[in-house]
Amino acid sequence: MSDQTHMPAGHDLAPGDEEQHSVGARILGYVVGLVLALLLTATSFFIAGTDLVWQPSIPVALIVLAIAQMGVHLVFFLHITTGPDNTNNVLALAFGLMVVFLVVGGTVWIMANLNANMPPMDQIMRMQ
Amino acid sequence: MPAALTVEATMLGKLDWSAIPFDQPIPLIAGAVVLVAILAVLIWVVVKGHLPYLWHEWITSVDHKRIGVMYILLASVMLLRGGSDAIMMRIQQAIAYQSQGYLPPEHYNQIFSAHGTIMIFFVAMPFVIGLMNLIVPLQLGVRDVAFPTLNSVGFWLTATGALLVNLSLVIGEFARTGWLAFPPLSGLSYSPGVGVDYYAWSLQISGVGTLVAGINLVTTVLKLRTKGMNYLRMPMFCWTTLASNLLIVAAFPILTATLAMLLLDRYLGFHFFTNEAGGNVMMFMNLIWAWGHPEVYILVLPAFGIFSEVVSTFSGKALFGYRSMVLATMAICVVSFMVWLHHFFTMGAGPNVNAIFGIASMIIAIPTGVKIYNWLFTMYGGRIRFATPMLWSIGFMVTFIIGGLTGVLLAVPPADFMLHNSMFLVAHFHNVIIGGVLFGAFAGYEYWFPKAFGFRLDERWGKAGFWFTFLGFFITFIPLYVAGMLGMTRRMQHYDVAAWRPWMIVAAVGMAVLTIGVICQIVQLVVSIRNRETLRDRTGDPWDGRSLEWATSSPPPVFNFAFNPDVRGEDAYWDMKVQAQQQSLERDGPEYRDIEMPRNSPTGFVCAFFATIMGFALIWHIWWMVILGGLGAWATFVVFAWRDHDEYVIPAEEVAAIDRVNLEERRSLVSMAGTA
Repeated sequence: MSDQTHMPAGHDLAPGDEEQHSVGARILGYVVGLVLALLLTATSFFIAGTDLVWQPSIPVALIVLAIAQMGVHLVFFLHITTGPDNTNNVLALAFGLMVVFLVVGGTVWIMANLNANMPPMDQIMRMQ
Repeated sequence: MPAALTVEATMLGKLDWSAIPFDQPIPLIAGAVVLVAILAVLIWVVVKGHLPYLWHEWITSVDHKRIGVMYILLASVMLLRGGSDAIMMRIQQAIAYQSQGYLPPEHYNQIFSAHGTIMIFFVAMPFVIGLMNLIVPLQLGVRDVAFPTLNSVGFWLTATGALLVNLSLVIGEFARTGWLAFPPLSGLSYSPGVGVDYYAWSLQISGVGTLVAGINLVTTVLKLRTKGMNYLRMPMFCWTTLASNLLIVAAFPILTATLAMLLLDRYLGFHFFTNEAGGNVMMFMNLIWAWGHPEVYILVLPAFGIFSEVVSTFSGKALFGYRSMVLATMAICVVSFMVWLHHFFTMGAGPNVNAIFGIASMIIAIPTGVKIYNWLFTMYGGRIRFATPMLWSIGFMVTFIIGGLTGVLLAVPPADFMLHNSMFLVAHFHNVIIGGVLFGAFAGYEYWFPKAFGFRLDERWGKAGFWFTFLGFFITFIPLYVAGMLGMTRRMQHYDVAAWRPWMIVAAVGMAVLTIGVICQIVQLVVSIRNRETLRDRTGDPWDGRSLEWATSSPPPVFNFAFNPDVRGEDAYWDMKVQAQQQSLERDGPEYRDIEMPRNSPTGFVCAFFATIMGFALIWHIWWMVILGGLGAWATFVVFAWRDHDEYVIPAEEVAAIDRVNLEERRSLVSMAGTA
């Protein structure tokens, strides 16, 4: 569809599209991303088994590392930036995050509420 | 002979002669009739030599208009299938008072399950996706969708799903679990047959098709718009298409994941949704409705867009409150993800959860109400032409308000505890889906038919079709509200309560009236095809339309527009017409250029062929065939990915020749309008 070049002003890039960067700069970007991702993965494995830190903080640390990992992937591999050419991608990401938050959060809330109101039979017997 | 048995089990899985229901005459005869009809059509096509035409112009076509038409054709055929199921159910409930009726329970259960599954997934979905495919690129003023071949893949995968559902009629059985196949009933212990597998695999395959259609249309609206077509100049139908397809992209993965977990339970002994070993059946209700409620809006938002276009065109006015309409659409898009619990208020959540979701459900009625008022104000002060599409739109407003109000009633948790799973609920969702989605689909069909085929539909038969359907709808479904109030639950194969009987008989009569409406529409199509010369639309603008699809000829050339239109405001084509009249001339001797268009590709058809094999093999546990089908589908994609030429060039002279004819016709229209 090469004829459809009459895009509205401020056209943006699809995820994965590259623009006027030299090959060297692009490879550097991927290498930095890979190193960061590996670092975060290694840290997660280390934290999960260590007794160097306060134990209850481990789940929180893992969640933080996981979110950082997602950030690294989005920025270095999926090329989500804050530039004006990226509005659609950022909006799509925001919409996706909102839906995930609503569905996962809602599900956890609903199921916890159900479990509290309708415990399994043996628990009901124990409560009586 | 254990060795022979193993060979047979390896070769054919669970499939043997007992899969064909020789003891049940109804499905067997129905299946035989359909098979004979399909064979007759195939033989006719081959003998008449239409096969190359069909293959080159339709089956392998990546033209969004052709794919849209095929979607709508699939939906129409499936509408007849789902409608026959509905007729059978209404007759059963009319006669099954203190008797078994004529449908045994296991057959009746399959019928209502198939009716729901077919009507939602293979009628409503392909109908609205077909209309969006057909019209949205034209309204945006572009030459095709963003991913033309993917579009074809999406359509053919949907057709695969429909084929598998209908195959269950003669080979094996369909699910007896209702259209959402709730566990534990749909688990292996209570549904050991292949019915649920037919259900789940056909939805998985067609779900992939729907998802790629959604991605395609979102990308099309976001990335391919003609010059000057910024977001707030897009026709309302494009906005609702965007919202609906955003919902598809966000919601259909939930369906796929949920069904995948159900299939893991059934095939590999997992315990996501079983009663034992830590499974939780409530989680299935929760997840399936987290998809199911957005699905309702996936269907009805495009219908809202169609009504916006129709009401504005036939009132001769710009849409009232365009920006509030956009806002309402996007609000529905977001809030539709916050209400899913209202489908299972009675499952046992506490009052706080029920209250929040009840209130959210009532809130979503507000943007919908905004839309209704906008349509009313668009009509107010307009010169309304009561053509068939406008009749469907007005009929929708009346019907949908009733359905919406009963919906708000059901959103009140204490009321829902009384009405849950009753015929009142059945009446409510038919009221919104028939009154909203189906009326919208019919309005769009009547409105855009001339654009797709170059001739209008017969108005007299169309109006008869509308009135019979409209009245038939009320005669069928108002009694179901009453029966629900009298305590009748849904999905009853027989009953012993005398008070319900008269209402069931009235509903069956209503079904007969509805059927006459459908027959009128079939007759309308036949009559219109026969009189197509007198109904010919030469100008490309039969309704005095306002958006860009009317700026090209009917049917549009394969490239849609010789020039990408330049849009200067809302109601793009209306502005062009006004300006052309003021200047009393259109552009003379424009300079035509070569146009590149995507080449046709059999990828979609071949891929769906292998998907059908794979789906069938998965249902019957024929593992070698699963591998074969999977490899075939994968290889099809590899071949497509390594293609050398994906576009062909239409030379400028050809573009000019096609466009000049259209320009002449149009100029005569403008000069006539100028003198009138």
